Amino acid sequence: MTAGEIAAPLLVGAAFGFLLQKGGLSRYDRIVNIFRFRDMAVLQFLLSALLTAAIGIRLLQSFGLAASLPVPATYLVGNLAGGLVFGVGMALSGFCPGTVAAGAGEGRLDYVVPGGLGLLFGALVYGLGYERVMPALSRWGRLGTVTFAELGRVEPWLVVVLFAELVLLVFYWVERVRFRPVRPSAVR
Amino acid sequence: MRSPFARPWSPYVAGIGLGLVVTVSVGLFGHRLSGAGAYQHLSGYAGRSLAPESVYWRHVVPTGLTWDVLVLVGAVFGAFVASRLAGEFRLRTMPDRQWETVFGPSVVHRWILAFVGSFLTELGGGLAGGCTASLAVSGGALLAPAAFVFMAGMFGGGIPTAWLVYRKVER
Repeated sequence: MTAGEIAAPLLVGAAFGFLLQKGGLSRYDRIVNIFRFRDMAVLQFLLSALLTAAIGIRLLQSFGLAASLPVPATYLVGNLAGGLVFGVGMALSGFCPGTVAAGAGEGRLDYVVPGGLGLLFGALVYGLGYERVMPALSRWGRLGTVTFAELGRVEPWLVVVLFAELVLLVFYWVERVRFRPVRPSAVR
Repeated sequence: MRSPFARPWSPYVAGIGLGLVVTVSVGLFGHRLSGAGAYQHLSGYAGRSLAPESVYWRHVVPTGLTWDVLVLVGAVFGAFVASRLAGEFRLRTMPDRQWETVFGPSVVHRWILAFVGSFLTELGGGLAGGCTASLAVSGGALLAPAAFVFMAGMFGGGIPTAWLVYRKVER
């Protein structure tokens, strides 16, 4: 590996961890409270990132500057079932694989030790069951590595614009609705 | 005015920042932002000896210091810098106080649930084809259906779980 091949992912990771910490995503309560509709910060963070990157990547593509894009595979049943398991784990622990790194950087030992071990153990169990589970699971509702634009055979910018409108509507709703705040007794 | 590095950021600002990072990582380097992936690449060290014949560690995921693992290392460092600049770095074994209102002050209890929870996120992430960073954010930015189906699952699993956990303190 060249120095650049090592420096690029380290820098991307550093910016990622920095922003997770700045956004407070490395905190248990912030992650859990999105699922309780008490704190919408995770949704605001997630959708801001999605919209910015959707426009950014599309711009790079339009100018012919984009790399070959790593579009994830859609297999509806697996994407959904995996998401369900993921959500249960996230609501129990208050973190996801990425924010474990951010929490670790902040000095959280519950992220480093049981969090890190749980992730490694999860990856190991997944790997051991891969051959039995994934060939079947990835067949149900398989659409392949597609984007909405390819699926609907429409101009990709159209999807970006529609998505932007949807995101802005969600932001409007989040800012307008008064969510029940976290009770003072629960925060102290 | 205090330095912006000394206080938390608006989720909109931090989110736009992350969007720029994703633009660079996915758009310029062709790598989805990594979370769960790094642990898959690290699991091979044990997996290859446990199941030497497994197609998974031989052909599906690489083992070693991959792009994803380096992103993970960088993320720990980035969060360390951010927390030091904000005076928030502190070695601790428990999360913020809200945890104790439902689970009590036991560190053992927290560590067991942290293990179970992170196990489930990694397993679920494997089944779904990615995690919050690699599927929801990076796949979502590419406007791939997989990302949005995954997010529906994530909230579908998280909302009832949080309701069950917080049921007794909400009354």
